[in-house]
Amino acid sequence: MRRGSILQLVGLGVLFGGLATLVAVLIPWLPPVASKQRDRIDFVFWFTTGICIAVFALVAAVIAYSLLKFRVQPDDDSDGPPIHGHTGVEIVWTAVPAILVTAISVVSSIVLVQNENVPKNHLDVAVTARQFAWTFTYPDQDGLTSAQLRLPVDRTVKLHLRALDVIHSFWVPEFGQKQDAVPGQDTTLVITPTKVGTYPVICTELCGLGHALMRTSAIVMQPAAFQTWLRDQKNAAAAPPAEAGKAVFTSNGCASCHTLEDAGATGTAGPDLDKLPAYAKQAGKPLEDFVRESIVDPNAYVQSGYPKNVMPAFATLPKDQLDSLVDYLVKSSTGGGS
Amino acid sequence: MTAVAEHHPSVVAPRPPKTARDYILKAGWIRAAWMTCLFWGIGLGLVLIFRGWAGWEPLFDWAVITVVATLTAAPIGFLAGLGAFDYWVRYAAGAPTVPEDHSTHGGRNWKDYFRPNTDHKVIGIQYVVTTIFFFVAAGLMAMLFRAELARPGMQFVDNQTFNGLVSVHAALMIFLFVIPAFAGLGNYVIPLMIGAPDMAFPRLNALSFWLLPIAGFMMLLSFLVPGGAFATGWTSYAPLATDQPLGQVFFNMGVQWAGASSIMTALNFLVTIITMRAPGMTFWRMPLLVWANFTTSLLVVIATPFIAGSQFFVMFDRVMHTNFFNAAEGGYVLGYQHIFWFYSHPAVYIMMLPGFGIASEVISTMARKPIFGYRLMALSLMAILVLGFSVWAHHMFVAGVAPWLRIPMMVTSMIIAVPTGIKVFSWLATVWEGRIHFNTPMLFALGFVSMFVIGGLSGIYLAAVPIDIHVSDTYFVVAHIHYVLFGGSLFTIFAGIYYWFPKMTGRMYNERLGRIHFWLTFIGFNVTFFPMHWVGLQGMPRRVADYAPEFGNWNFVISIASFGLGASTVVFLYNMIVSWRRGPIAPGNPWRALTLEWQVSSPPPVFNFDEVPQVVGSPYEYGTRGARHAVLNGKPTETGKAPEPLEVMHH
Repeated sequence: MRRGSILQLVGLGVLFGGLATLVAVLIPWLPPVASKQRDRIDFVFWFTTGICIAVFALVAAVIAYSLLKFRVQPDDDSDGPPIHGHTGVEIVWTAVPAILVTAISVVSSIVLVQNENVPKNHLDVAVTARQFAWTFTYPDQDGLTSAQLRLPVDRTVKLHLRALDVIHSFWVPEFGQKQDAVPGQDTTLVITPTKVGTYPVICTELCGLGHALMRTSAIVMQPAAFQTWLRDQKNAAAAPPAEAGKAVFTSNGCASCHTLEDAGATGTAGPDLDKLPAYAKQAGKPLEDFVRESIVDPNAYVQSGYPKNVMPAFATLPKDQLDSLVDYLVKSSTGGGS
Repeated sequence: MTAVAEHHPSVVAPRPPKTARDYILKAGWIRAAWMTCLFWGIGLGLVLIFRGWAGWEPLFDWAVITVVATLTAAPIGFLAGLGAFDYWVRYAAGAPTVPEDHSTHGGRNWKDYFRPNTDHKVIGIQYVVTTIFFFVAAGLMAMLFRAELARPGMQFVDNQTFNGLVSVHAALMIFLFVIPAFAGLGNYVIPLMIGAPDMAFPRLNALSFWLLPIAGFMMLLSFLVPGGAFATGWTSYAPLATDQPLGQVFFNMGVQWAGASSIMTALNFLVTIITMRAPGMTFWRMPLLVWANFTTSLLVVIATPFIAGSQFFVMFDRVMHTNFFNAAEGGYVLGYQHIFWFYSHPAVYIMMLPGFGIASEVISTMARKPIFGYRLMALSLMAILVLGFSVWAHHMFVAGVAPWLRIPMMVTSMIIAVPTGIKVFSWLATVWEGRIHFNTPMLFALGFVSMFVIGGLSGIYLAAVPIDIHVSDTYFVVAHIHYVLFGGSLFTIFAGIYYWFPKMTGRMYNERLGRIHFWLTFIGFNVTFFPMHWVGLQGMPRRVADYAPEFGNWNFVISIASFGLGASTVVFLYNMIVSWRRGPIAPGNPWRALTLEWQVSSPPPVFNFDEVPQVVGSPYEYGTRGARHAVLNGKPTETGKAPEPLEVMHH
């Protein structure tokens, strides 16, 4: 190879490397960071990206150079030089990539270990996933439950995930952490939120018809605000039945699939609960019995136009909660409200 | 295809005119029709007898009847009616058989392509045409769900249909297009390349093709079942898959038929390559396509039974009420994923290694240079084969696997990039200083190398556990898999189809249309799939019909580009159909290639070679004057030419 052609090749490499770097830097590839873990993940991401840009620039330069320099006319039937290989070169392109991927592996391993480190003063939250809703329980707060994940900022939380029916997966892009909830198995996930704000909680494992709607929010609060919220919730749980029923409705994620004006719910995957009296008439059952049956055994009567086997059975709901939920649904759908 | 009569007049006896009785009882589509019904009835009868005898209620359990009668017995009846088992049945029954009966061999007219045919060249074309049919069907499904995804919210289809379209699209593309398209090209080319008259087991070969349309139509027809098509993704994770509408069993069983077809073909390839190489064709003189299919066949034979098992377990949980994946009864939910990925990761290499082989053939021929580092190329295939079985849990980093498993599986996943890198660098070194002819096969081969590099690099992100935790199950993964399977596998399939089109049809394709097809595909592909990296990193999960509004604009761009990508296929189909009918007659060796398939006529004689070739050297002796790969009919085959000084290199 002549010196001039090496220079041209290097020039092409710099050109492609530069272009790829611009694409990497100018486009905001990653969502905003809101956890310590995401910070570290981003480091691995950019470390890997640096190596990948170098490899891409090399390959693109060789292909582009070949396109420019080695193409022949269709009627040129000469052959290229009979080069069958070169042991030295082959050793280099075996060894160099091996070293690069080893480096990425080492960095990844260190970050993985750091990201799973749980300090002593962490907060435990139990996450229950079911088709198609999330429930968050705070075991240190007398089992307080919520349909949104509320967290104090700068305190590590360890999520304990459980699935009641099929596999679901918990993901908050801004936290960068993801973990499947698996039936029959307890899994955990560590997050240290670093920024106050509201972030989407997304189910990323196909879990049935309502999968795309299986979303809620993770709300990161100042520690003082978090304490206030905990106190308010405990007071609400002790409130009169109608409000308690509404709380059960909200905390079990009913709103993700159903519409109910009184609760501000606008889901469309399941039947419109403002029309419960009409449905009960079609099913030929008294309203209260109908509502109770539909919660405990949803497939007993399925409103036409909606698929069977979609709504999970809430047979495990404690008796007092079930009672207040039925009471609330009957009242709010007949215009009584709370 | 008149070559049959010219070369082997003795094997084709004139056929007596058929009577009505013959039409009904002789192997063919009429017998297939009534035997399908008959066997369906037998299946139904078996279910009713056993259920009645055991006193199970309800007697007519349609889940069981569908599995036994519709998805198992009826297809066997169809195959028997078509004549796929005739020889073996006669043999087993002690009836006289003629081992040298070649009446089922060769393609004389179009009808010979619609029956079990023992000629590997007919089977190769049957495979390629069938797989393109399913490619188009699965592609149209992609257009439909891209239309739904063009805007956030729900517009055209409901959730069940959307999930069904996504699942059937992927299942057809994988099991009915990429894997069998490579099997088809290999079927046509491998016996020719190694100097053999046919495959080792021609009747098994015929059978393995006919299992394929059964699997394909099973998956397509699942849309007509009450409850809709299987809708749990092609990965079909338990326990979701165990309590889905009935369409799910069409996937469980479709995979069995496609898998059986795959295993039979792989066994056939292995025996053919090991035992039927022409004299002088040592392993180190085999073209890399043969090496690639040898390696792939080992992967298929070892891994495919695992996916068969995983789908049987899921089906048993539904139909027989077993509890393999029912956690409430002590089932092990993650067990499904371990078994599934123990096949499905090697399956990624089953879908890629034959493409590596095609790329090697095309690049060496079109660059007029020997493959750089031939032995390391073959050894890297074997390295991928071995390492491929040690990386499956990288699909499960967030699935709840044992924490200790993740770092070892990350390291093996990273290391598999090394043999893959060797192949890419060797192709680049082969091109270097070559005399490159940028025709359609070469464009697709180089397009493959560049797109596969992007897919390989995004694979590094997915192998790194912390990044994978963020991007797992998002559009980043969708982008990655399409860079590997579309930019990788599909580009090599196109390269292979254009490259061997003259050999298979005896006619040349239209080069201009070929190039238009390449550029439309290349641009459409990148605009469709590159933005998916961004969408995924930002927070869009895969397999959702509805998504957050902030991804609306990019999804709109992606959808529009995907329609353009779909349209580019029309150019391909037009070129293939018109060129096959009216293209210019192809010479035996239009590319002046050195491998054996180009040393015979286009299309080749019915038994490939009039005389057994004598292999005397490497298949890639470009640039060495007089160096040749084989001696055929006493004459030297095409030889290499000494290079003339290349002007650009000297100023």
